[in-house]
Amino acid sequence: MSIALRPYLTCVRASLTAALSLSNFASQTVERHNVPEIEAGKSPELLLNPLTISRNENERVLIEPSVNSVRVSIRIKQADEIEDILVHKFTRFLTQRAEAFFILRRKPVKGYDISFLITNFHTEAMLKHKLVDFIIHFMDEVDKEISEMKLFLNARARFVAEAFLTPFD
Amino acid sequence: MSTSQTPAVVMDNGTGYSKLGFAGNDAPSFVFPTAIATKTAAGGGGSGSGRPAVAQKPSFLTGGAGPGGHLSAKRGTEDLDFFIGDEALNAAKGPGYGIDYPIRHGQIENWDHMERFWQSSIFKYLRVEPEDHYFLLTEPPLNPPESRESTAEIMFESFNCAGLYIAVQAVLALAASWTSSKVQDRSLTGTVIDSGDGVTHVIPVAEGYVIGSSIRSIPIAGRDITYFVQSLLRDRGEPDSSLKTAESIKEEFCYVCPDIVKEFSKYDREPDKFQKYVVDQGAGRKVTVDVGYERFLAPEIFFNPEIYSSDFLTPLPEVVDGVIQSSPIDVRKGLYKNIVLSGGSTLYKDFGRRLQRDIRHLVDARIKLSEQRAGTNVRSSGLEVSVITHKRQRYGPWFGGSLLGQTPEFRSYCHTKQEYDEVGPSIVRRFALLGGPGGAA
Amino acid sequence: MLLLEYHSLLIHQILTERFNGPTPATIDQVIPDFDGVIYHISTPESKTKILVSLSIKCYRDLLKYGAQDVLQREYGGLIVDPEPGYDFSLLVDLEALPEEKEQRDDLIRRVSLLKRNAMAAPFERAFDTHYHLAAESSKFTSESAPSSSDTEVMAIQYRDEEAIYIKPSHDRVTVIFSTVFREETDRVFGKVFLQEFVDARRRAIQNAPQVLYRNDPPLEIRGLPGVNDTGAGDVGYVTFVLFPRHLKPERRDEVISHIQTFRDYFHYHIKAAKAYMHSRMRKRVSDFLKYLNRAKPENAETVKERKTASGRSFKVQS
Repeated sequence: MSIALRPYLTCVRASLTAALSLSNFASQTVERHNVPEIEAGKSPELLLNPLTISRNENERVLIEPSVNSVRVSIRIKQADEIEDILVHKFTRFLTQRAEAFFILRRKPVKGYDISFLITNFHTEAMLKHKLVDFIIHFMDEVDKEISEMKLFLNARARFVAEAFLTPFD
Repeated sequence: MSTSQTPAVVMDNGTGYSKLGFAGNDAPSFVFPTAIATKTAAGGGGSGSGRPAVAQKPSFLTGGAGPGGHLSAKRGTEDLDFFIGDEALNAAKGPGYGIDYPIRHGQIENWDHMERFWQSSIFKYLRVEPEDHYFLLTEPPLNPPESRESTAEIMFESFNCAGLYIAVQAVLALAASWTSSKVQDRSLTGTVIDSGDGVTHVIPVAEGYVIGSSIRSIPIAGRDITYFVQSLLRDRGEPDSSLKTAESIKEEFCYVCPDIVKEFSKYDREPDKFQKYVVDQGAGRKVTVDVGYERFLAPEIFFNPEIYSSDFLTPLPEVVDGVIQSSPIDVRKGLYKNIVLSGGSTLYKDFGRRLQRDIRHLVDARIKLSEQRAGTNVRSSGLEVSVITHKRQRYGPWFGGSLLGQTPEFRSYCHTKQEYDEVGPSIVRRFALLGGPGGAA
Repeated sequence: MLLLEYHSLLIHQILTERFNGPTPATIDQVIPDFDGVIYHISTPESKTKILVSLSIKCYRDLLKYGAQDVLQREYGGLIVDPEPGYDFSLLVDLEALPEEKEQRDDLIRRVSLLKRNAMAAPFERAFDTHYHLAAESSKFTSESAPSSSDTEVMAIQYRDEEAIYIKPSHDRVTVIFSTVFREETDRVFGKVFLQEFVDARRRAIQNAPQVLYRNDPPLEIRGLPGVNDTGAGDVGYVTFVLFPRHLKPERRDEVISHIQTFRDYFHYHIKAAKAYMHSRMRKRVSDFLKYLNRAKPENAETVKERKTASGRSFKVQS
């Protein structure tokens, strides 16, 4: 984890750990249903205040807690057009495999690049602090991955251009 | 768009061989092993497991883990340094490259390698701009839909191909049989016997849809016949009993006989049935190998597996009969009427005729039995059993794809890039049935 | 594979096979190539007479710039009347092949370069014009040299949406490719790639042709029919400036072959880069999954394994 990123991630970790106190809660509106209240949004009294942690205008995390579910949305750093495309490609690739990720939401919340939905069933089946670890790890790695991909693209482009132009030499 | 008249690309990637070509042609342009040779990490102990090459991290991150100082290694271009097909086999003989087969048991196992295999297929061999062409790919029966989606993701996102259709190999094999003069109505109902190198499948297809629950596979196929020929040669102590010799003898001399006992005595009476095969062992040395009973004994293992294998004992005709009997009753008639052969190991002379005869015997015996049981004078009108052999059997699925890919309506069955962008990969979970009755869905 | 081949691999393969095969066989294959080129290789009359036909989108443009002469020079006696539906046809008679192996190989090579040779015509003409102009201008001092803007710009609409423009002058030949990207990702990747093409000369290869990239039509081709300056920026223009050192007669063929492959090379590498990204992302996804699965408690506590006296192990049911 890079030094510059650490306070930001520490803050997210603390807020997320606090938010992840979930309990089983059957739907109040529909009988014999049990839905993530944050998604249903039918009973305002079950929702807690959403929280935004922002590192700068390009990087922020939105945590929306409720009685039985938490929605975490991440906006990944996008400095230019290339990063924009790369982030888009990468998150699309991930959400395509949402089935395997359990907590990954198939669509991000508007204004964010990727969203996770953690319900009480997840926290019951999996270790809570490890889930938080995963989100932090994800945020850390995704930035690295995007910048590595960008570096790769530039290196590849340079190599390809030189390879094409060399025969003229 | 410039795709108005470009022929569709037809790619049939099988476990052993890939068949690549263009719709409208009568044979695939390229047939080569579905193999890819990639750079192995230097000093990494070779390829112990199934997947070498792709290290923990893409190797340019670790600062040029390749054989040091190489230009391409420093620039992180190992992913361009690979060979496919026959070139891959050659490259793997030398140092530095490890070979991999991205398809196992008909299904794609290693997507990284498959993606690069396609990349090279398209740009190096077929030489087409995928944006200008529609693609017809094949898949084995019971291919998981996720696998289709991954295929679509690669074809549309990496290659931007104009349109994509994924067809089941067995259905294409049925379509290929339309070229036979024996086929009158172009139905997509029938039983496909697909025998390649590794495994033989019997696949019932009803109106273009595979009856998944009734598929049977037999662990006897081309490779086993080769081994069998080889063991016969060895038993006789022939001067050359290499696998290659056995394979050429199999391809050149083998045929299916109607009755083994009679065939043995025929050989006793007619000595010219014995043949000679000259093996060029290289360096000017030539040896002659006698070719005898293996000519008809080798393919016989389909009909009497006990002469070869001790753990699989059901003859092919019985398997086919069993498959059809386990299919829904309303399609059985069509399945018996249209038994289509496909794949290299069905090419033996009189294979189809023998199969047809044996299946008919089974069917007739059953009908007779039920007539007896019924006791009255009710007579069955009989059941038509017909095995179709045709000229395109070897590359059946590919040819079927070529046939359907050139039809004017083919494009309307494809999913296009625009549709993909709108819906996402899940769009390929459903395809309208190509060549079937009714037309567009 | 880094660079693309200039010839059609399939034609090369079929001819090699036919030339060396003992028995003639019928051939009937349609073979596409890049840029909507379609070959048809067939044996219409007898098995020993192979007809190779070429259909190319811009054949009319090419004819205008002397394709006929180039093809005549390359193929001479092989040329026959074009097959219906195609632009140009060659007939190779297997019974009248040259004796020596080298000549046969050369014939195979030449036939498989059909597309390259057809496309070479305008380039050759441009090179010739350049030689001519260079000779003319050497008669003048630098001040009085005639302005170079009055030479003809040759336009080859080689794809539906893309064209090559060639303009010779006394000290250079300018080759301009117009490029269109149908997809956003490709456009962004393409921009990165082109930027490196532009920079390559400054950084590494001083002797390479100068490359320029812009989103509006360059001066040379402004006002030509088909060049519409919409200003929307969806068409890019890549300019290669070939200097006399690239235009030397002895290097001419190589340079022409090479520059022709630009577009396909460029697109091939964009796609290869995307394929590589995919494999990276697959790796990443499996890493993330591994990390996530650590959160599952049943993975942490391993199922107890016990051994029997004979050494076989079994798992204890919970």
